[in-house]
Amino acid sequence: MDEKNATFTILANGPLEITGFFRIADSAGKIIEKKGPVLLCRCGESANKPFCDDSHKRIGFSE
Amino acid sequence: MNDPRNRQYTNSEITVFWKPSKCIHATTCFRELIEVFNPGRRPWVNMKGSTTRRISEVVNKCPTQALIWKYNKDLSESEKLAQREVSKEEENPQTLGKPSPEKNPLVKPVNVRIMKDGPIVVEGKFRILGKDGIELNSSQMTSFCRCGNSKDMPYCDGIHRKIGFTDEPF
Repeated sequence: MDEKNATFTILANGPLEITGFFRIADSAGKIIEKKGPVLLCRCGESANKPFCDDSHKRIGFSE
Repeated sequence: MNDPRNRQYTNSEITVFWKPSKCIHATTCFRELIEVFNPGRRPWVNMKGSTTRRISEVVNKCPTQALIWKYNKDLSESEKLAQREVSKEEENPQTLGKPSPEKNPLVKPVNVRIMKDGPIVVEGKFRILGKDGIELNSSQMTSFCRCGNSKDMPYCDGIHRKIGFTDEPF
């Protein structure tokens, strides 16, 4: 498997981890982050959306 | 600020953080514990050189914040992620002359779109790893839940609209 292919890892009760070769854009298509790896909020409570700020721990997020 | 020269070194219990920009070269670390802190070696910190207790003791003696330590259970998600990236690099060191994906036209970046007040939409060729690293099925386009309330986790099921999920920090 080519290591550089983008890989999305669902961290249990935590963020979405993206590694490899990818591009992130907002809904308008404007690039907001290009270099990996990143952690994206999945609990909905981050004060730094779309990125994880460990709020899932504070709220005890459980999927 | 994220200085690219910053490093972290770990054993099973603690992680030592090194910030070269803060170092005043007091030499306390290697005078106390050369088995772990040896500037003549690469990498210069060897976490197997002594016990956790002794390492944390010496790190506490650093006169600046160039060396600090944390229990691994207290690491933030970003710090844990940086750890995984370091381990991958150590297992698969990049050799010189290997073409980077940006220069190789055959490797296309996967497009990740953060929908306003909505899911993360991904298009392209990618892998999804779920619990215990088990690979999940993915199609060419996948939406991941961002509101935390989908009944179809990790995927979006549209509930973000009903609950009024927004990007605004509160």
